[in-house]
Amino acid sequence: MTDTIVAAPLLELTDVSRVYGEQVQVYALREVSLQIHAGDLLAIIGPSGSGKSTMLGLLGVLDRPSEGTVVVGGRDTGTLDDAGRSRLRGDSIGFVFQQFHLIPHLTALGNVETALLFRNIDRSTRRERAMNALEQVGLAPRADHRPLQLSGGEQQRVAIARAIVTDPIMVLADEPTGALDSRNAANVMEIFAGLESNERAVVLVTHDHGVAATANRVVSMRDGEIIDDSRQVPSPFRGSA
Amino acid sequence: MSRAGELFGIAASGVTSRKVRTLLILLGPVVGVAAMVGAVGLTESAKGDLKEKLAQLGTNLVTAKAAGSFGQQDPTLPKDAVARVRAIPTVERASAVSEITGVITLPAEGSSDFYEAFPVPVLAADDRLPEVLEVPLRSGRWLRPSDRKTHSRAVVIGAGLADQYGFVRGEIRTVTLNGIDYGVVGVLDRVALDPNLDNAAFVTQWSADHDFATEGEPTKLYIRATPGTTSTTNDAIPTAISLGGTNEVTTSIPSDALEASAQADETLQQTALFAGILALAVGGLGIANVMSISVIQRSSEIGIRRALGSTRSLIGLQFLLEALFVGILGGVMGAVVGVGVVYLVASVADWVVVIDYGRMPLWITLAVVVSVTAGLYPSVKAARLEPLETLRLG
Repeated sequence: MTDTIVAAPLLELTDVSRVYGEQVQVYALREVSLQIHAGDLLAIIGPSGSGKSTMLGLLGVLDRPSEGTVVVGGRDTGTLDDAGRSRLRGDSIGFVFQQFHLIPHLTALGNVETALLFRNIDRSTRRERAMNALEQVGLAPRADHRPLQLSGGEQQRVAIARAIVTDPIMVLADEPTGALDSRNAANVMEIFAGLESNERAVVLVTHDHGVAATANRVVSMRDGEIIDDSRQVPSPFRGSA
Repeated sequence: MSRAGELFGIAASGVTSRKVRTLLILLGPVVGVAAMVGAVGLTESAKGDLKEKLAQLGTNLVTAKAAGSFGQQDPTLPKDAVARVRAIPTVERASAVSEITGVITLPAEGSSDFYEAFPVPVLAADDRLPEVLEVPLRSGRWLRPSDRKTHSRAVVIGAGLADQYGFVRGEIRTVTLNGIDYGVVGVLDRVALDPNLDNAAFVTQWSADHDFATEGEPTKLYIRATPGTTSTTNDAIPTAISLGGTNEVTTSIPSDALEASAQADETLQQTALFAGILALAVGGLGIANVMSISVIQRSSEIGIRRALGSTRSLIGLQFLLEALFVGILGGVMGAVVGVGVVYLVASVADWVVVIDYGRMPLWITLAVVVSVTAGLYPSVKAARLEPLETLRLG
């Protein structure tokens, strides 16, 4: 008999429900269980109102479940206070949003550096790491540009650099190509494909099947439930579908 | 860099990166502090000259006048009244004047109509009066004992009268007193503690007795008390003069009137100060308003900082620090503007600038307290924002 060693999941949702409203209760998520492992390039796909964004909020420790448990990096988030949840979020998760959410008065370098604040990292190391992250997304030459001086695609690449500069165990991206034209979208998806590693998971929340096709695992949702969770061979991004 | 240093950096960039918004927020503390510094500075400067004058003149002069009983005209004091008050141990010096009634003083021929309608007061004075008043001669000399002995007809005129006469320093001038020529030997400088003397003419007691047939009884005494005993000396004078007789005496301390006038300025100052505090409070409301709007405008920044690991308390502290910076900056700018206004007005009004720089930290602290208090609500509001709501997930 051979023992198989299964690596612990980076993130685990167990029987998670999210209910809104008090008198009239609406289930945005209903008893969802999901394990995300290192090496997953996972796409969560589904139509509007399927519970994708609620799922992203819970995966990113931005929200608390009404029922069930969310464990990130082995820590049950339900036992943590605001400071503990914030620290866990900052240390473990990198975010990329559809609208980029860059701080307008900071340069590209400043925006990436923001993710390294309050971690007892001296300024020169912070700058060096932020510059390395910008190099990874091909934006080092535009480090001193402000968001308004950058194109949409460049802004999203700065956001990706900000998400990876802390070396998180999971990168969460919410409709990362939603505000981009097809050429910039292809560039951004190429970067996401490059982020796949054995120590990290990348989660793409999208309604775009073209984006989902680039993932090695696809979780389909409808009406607050997971209706399918399957692995696939990723294919290169060929535009929105 | 330490955690505190990083927080300071974020707050400072929050203040400096949005210049128009920061200027709007700054208006409150700037106007409030400027109003308070201006209010205090202007009233202090306005009475600065008065205080200086009081310090020069001293507050130890007492005057004593005969108070007429009912029906008594031109009441006088006893002839030896000066000797009587000198007997008070706390009296340093004393001098007397006698008002001579019915004398027409003319500076030149043809001016009789005016000076008959508005006669110049003529006073017989002893030779110690300028010394007791502590007022110098603007020009020439005061009446001397030799004038009395040699029966010379010498007159000293007050500074106001000299100006009226167009008297030029060193000029040889005669005036007529009831048709008798008198030589002007000197001009007494202005007497701040008794401005009535500025328009008077002073002659010797011999002239008063010989030319105007007076009895030589003084009508008013000027007394210098030992410093610190003005009030007790003032109380002792009536008894010392009347010595149980029928003479009724009223006394006064002229510097009290000047001090009362300074006191009136203080009431004005308090009113202006209150207006300044009110302006600061209204400014505080402005800060609370603009910062609350700013929290809404910056909700995306707050959301992303929260997503990147900032705790609620760090976000709250960031906004509170921004309010603190606004308070310090606004307080300092307000103080500078206030001082500028005081210098400007003082230069126009020809006042001595009096600014109590020791109070500046108090005004700036007040601006900081108002700003931080006003920033409390927006800071709590920012800290309570849920990142999920502010990031508008797709």
